[in-house]
Amino acid sequence: MDYAWDFSSLLTNGTMLLIGLRNTLALWLTSLLLGFFFGGFVGAARYARNRFLNWPASAFIEVFRNTPVLVQIMWFFFAFPILSPLDIDAFTAAALALTLNTTAFAAEIYRGGIQSIHKGQWEAGQALGMSYSQQMTRIILPQAIRRMIPAFMNRAVELMKMTALASTVAYGELMYQAKTISTISFNPIEMYTGVGLIFFVMIFPIALFVQRLERRLRSQADT
Amino acid sequence: MGYEWDFTVVFREFDLLILGLVNTLKVTGLALVFGVPLGLLLAIARLYGSWPFRIPVVVLIEFLRATPPIAQLFWFFFALPILIGVAIDPFRASVLTFSLQSSAFFAEVFRGGIVSIERGQWEAAKAIGMNRAQALHRVILPQAVKRMTPAFFERAIELLKTTTLVSTISYADLLYQANTIAQSTYRYLEVFTITAGIYFIVIFACSIAVRRLERHMARTGETTAH
Repeated sequence: MDYAWDFSSLLTNGTMLLIGLRNTLALWLTSLLLGFFFGGFVGAARYARNRFLNWPASAFIEVFRNTPVLVQIMWFFFAFPILSPLDIDAFTAAALALTLNTTAFAAEIYRGGIQSIHKGQWEAGQALGMSYSQQMTRIILPQAIRRMIPAFMNRAVELMKMTALASTVAYGELMYQAKTISTISFNPIEMYTGVGLIFFVMIFPIALFVQRLERRLRSQADT
Repeated sequence: MGYEWDFTVVFREFDLLILGLVNTLKVTGLALVFGVPLGLLLAIARLYGSWPFRIPVVVLIEFLRATPPIAQLFWFFFALPILIGVAIDPFRASVLTFSLQSSAFFAEVFRGGIVSIERGQWEAAKAIGMNRAQALHRVILPQAVKRMTPAFFERAIELLKTTTLVSTISYADLLYQANTIAQSTYRYLEVFTITAGIYFIVIFACSIAVRRLERHMARTGETTAH
């Protein structure tokens, strides 16, 4: 029990941790932006009446929502390169898996948000002589996006946690750097505690903000 | 592409994969057995505990919810044994991590369920002479548990997916077995595709069951929308 904690090793290895932090953020932002972008298209396809759009979109969403994300990363790192003519490094494999995963979850958020808007809003748009795309962009989406924001932010939080899994395919993000440092300088306690704290500092404010936002949206809906 | 698929190696080692799946389910099951009651205790402490009790509980819950599970697992496997001077094997570290991790999420599910019950129910219980513990146990919880059933199962499915992390500390779950077979046969594509398929079948079946339950409960008005 009388272990002498020594957090100074966090500072002496500061550069390595900063590189890890930068890589974590790079993977997070890449997957976040691409995932939310493509999620709109997949969500629209899932929402479409056309079977040839709807069916593949549904299959895609179910596959990525119903398999563990670590398996997805492993698949893109170990299995996919065999099929792909291109070289796939750890970042590409992890970014591919996390982007597609986020796309699938984002698609369901878009769909849920649009479906949550009352049918009367569409009809009102129609009554004013708007086309489908006008109804969508001017009436439905502005309302739906407000409702989707908390869900998107929750996704961003989940994604941040998922980026730590890229350490398993040797992508040099925070977790991987911590592991490397701790095997060299024998300080797993300080390293893993430190990295846990860094993640907490990045994630908790977002989580707190989402809670506040949800509460505010709910109380607005009540009045 | 010119790649020749060969699934025979996977089927030759299929019992290893099944063994792995059994271990996956074992860790998930044990984490539920410990995590759910602990989650209820944490929820009650957070809602009704006095502040010296409530603050550490809130910190624990928020910390477990806002850090990556893999960081927690590594902490319990690599750091904790040094701190307490006792070796912890991969199986125990896994069960410990996922019991705690899921208890934090279950605590929030319980809390959501409990606060969703109208205040009138508390008042009614008080009116017929129940104290707070009795009211919680006999009136509030039975209704809350019903409402949170879908959220509860969704969390359990998340847990099942998250347990794949135990492969990183060499506990022989399904993903670990897949890695072992792939490394010895060089059939990464086939092994990982089949493994993903096994996970999909198990998890998708659970998801469908939960969706059915949700729809059924929504119809009978036993759940609040969430």
